[in-house]
Amino acid sequence: MPMRPFPKLRPTAWDALVVLAVIVLAAGTAFFQWRGGSSGELTAVVSIDGAEVDRFAPADLLEGPRTYHANGYTLTVAMAMDYETPSPGILPPKGEAGICVSSSDCPTQDCVRTGILSRGGQSAVCLPGRFVLRLEGGAAEDGGVDAVLG
Amino acid sequence: MKRLTAYALFLALLLSGCGASADPDTAQESIQVIAMDTAMLITTYGERSVPAAYAAEDCIRDLEAKLSRTIEDSEVSRLNAAGGEPVEIGEDLWELLDLARSYSDYTGGAFDITIAPVVSAWGFTEDSFQVPFPATVKKLLMLVDMTSVSQSPYPLTGEGPLTASLGPGQEIDLGGIAKGYAADKLVEVFKEHACPRALAQLGGNVLAYGGRPDGTPWRVGIQDPARPDDKNAFAGVLELTDAFAVTSGGYQRYFEQDGKTYHHIIDPATGYPADSGLTSVTVVADCETPEGYRTGTMCDAFSTALFVMGEEKALDLWRSWTAPAFELVLVTEDGRVVVTGGLKDRFTPDESSGYAYETVS
Amino acid sequence: MKLTTKQLTLCALLTAMALALSYLENLFPLSLAVPLPGVKLGLANIVTVFALYALGPGQALLILLARCFLGSLFAGNMNALIFSLFGGLSALGTMVLLSRRRGLSLYGVSAGGAAAHNCGQIAAAALTLGSAAPLYYLPVLLAVSLLTGGLTGLACACLFQGLRRTGLMKG
Repeated sequence: MPMRPFPKLRPTAWDALVVLAVIVLAAGTAFFQWRGGSSGELTAVVSIDGAEVDRFAPADLLEGPRTYHANGYTLTVAMAMDYETPSPGILPPKGEAGICVSSSDCPTQDCVRTGILSRGGQSAVCLPGRFVLRLEGGAAEDGGVDAVLG
Repeated sequence: MKRLTAYALFLALLLSGCGASADPDTAQESIQVIAMDTAMLITTYGERSVPAAYAAEDCIRDLEAKLSRTIEDSEVSRLNAAGGEPVEIGEDLWELLDLARSYSDYTGGAFDITIAPVVSAWGFTEDSFQVPFPATVKKLLMLVDMTSVSQSPYPLTGEGPLTASLGPGQEIDLGGIAKGYAADKLVEVFKEHACPRALAQLGGNVLAYGGRPDGTPWRVGIQDPARPDDKNAFAGVLELTDAFAVTSGGYQRYFEQDGKTYHHIIDPATGYPADSGLTSVTVVADCETPEGYRTGTMCDAFSTALFVMGEEKALDLWRSWTAPAFELVLVTEDGRVVVTGGLKDRFTPDESSGYAYETVS
Repeated sequence: MKLTTKQLTLCALLTAMALALSYLENLFPLSLAVPLPGVKLGLANIVTVFALYALGPGQALLILLARCFLGSLFAGNMNALIFSLFGGLSALGTMVLLSRRRGLSLYGVSAGGAAAHNCGQIAAAALTLGSAAPLYYLPVLLAVSLLTGGLTGLACACLFQGLRRTGLMKG
């Protein structure tokens, strides 16, 4: 056997330093990764032409509606209570955030007719503007579905 | 040295009680594609979920470039503009024409891709909706005839270029079949990339590949046709594993004129929106069949055709059909939801919807 | 690097042992207890730690490389090569640096190595996926690495304790 320094076999104070460093690293990455609460918090994502252009918490709309320009059309995204719903029966479930495309100058108006989005996975789409407003995250509910046919 | 080995081996045995392996299953990627006149959402899973998602997008864009009626230099547009002359086409269009002919036969003409001129007269191609004059409809209906569409070589010989031709004045629209065909192709993409699971929503088409990450089937809601604007209103929920499901309904696209509603599913027999007593038709089939049958295309074609044919004829076709099996969920105007026997354990009614549920066999 | 026959034999033996350990590890998935992707005990790291102290960084590197290449060859999955190379090399690199610190015991060195191993694997996952999503698991994996690193340290401590008694290793 070659002569090499024999390792220390019992934990030392220096070991505690290594452990501490790893803990700090774990806490640091945890802070950056989980700060947004990407798995739990409901997040609105806006994309135009397939590229994400905006990402915000539904509550941010309390400060006012947001306007987007997509392929020549102008769309406004607002908190659900900010506008008269086309079908008055549609209101966000109690305690949940509801957002919608409140106005658009596109010819189809499908995005406005979609009404209120309140759960992760729901989206409002404007085909002429190639604009997608989508909710991500949020707690999964028992009655929740992965996809909708129709 | 011997003892050193013995020690190491002993240690190995001691610690072999605990081990671990990585599960790449949780890696996932979602991609949103606007193509084929609809918004598509594809979520792939697995180690290669990212390349799989991009490959899926490429696959759809490629098909759209060939099959779209509104893209000027697509194969379909060139065929429509050829005035009856043969046009060179690719394998995908060749196969789709062949399938479209079969489904036209099986459904007694209730599915017909040559309905395109009539659909255009209603303005559904360009979103400039109008009710055409009855005389116009009558004239254009004469162009609706799948038997005038020919393709060669038929059957495929593997030699020479593939060509197709239409009758004079005819046009085709693959809108009722292309998304199903795209879904069939996505299964191949997911397989190539070894995806353990994936979920693709292509307009009214859903491909539930594999099951959910927690091992349960994908839950797919069928939109309540009576409440199309409420995204949480379902006629029922399907639990699907390795399956296609396609819904056709008049509520998906329509316009109103003089107080009357006109929807986009035109009956090839009358030239007017189908009025069969159904408000939506959902067709479900396994996405893997031993024969490699294009079941996604089948679901897409049947959902349109059965909506036109109505409850009775739809159930007759379901009973007489041998293989590959498909199942149905029919929602009727008079407030019933009819579910075929094979879906008994995979369909959950929505009690709050107010529908009367029936299972038929 | 010129190796004596004895050194070469020992390296080959240790490589075989590391491979056997990785294989054993896969037989008993720990992910049942800790449902996280990439959670591993890292039993093969025992060999790396041992080689580092008994034979030095050069031969430890040789054993590591041989283990990674042969391991992914046996698994028939070249994708796994990137993962084990990233993980193994960052672990070895970190441990070489840490082992120069005389004050550190085997426990500290192997805990640091285990943490680096996880960082390397996550980096490989992020690179191959082209997405930062795997970083999400890093905090938990780092916490787990303290445990697995401690176990590796314990195993090595037992090993060297035994070796000292045999007198095979002078030092």
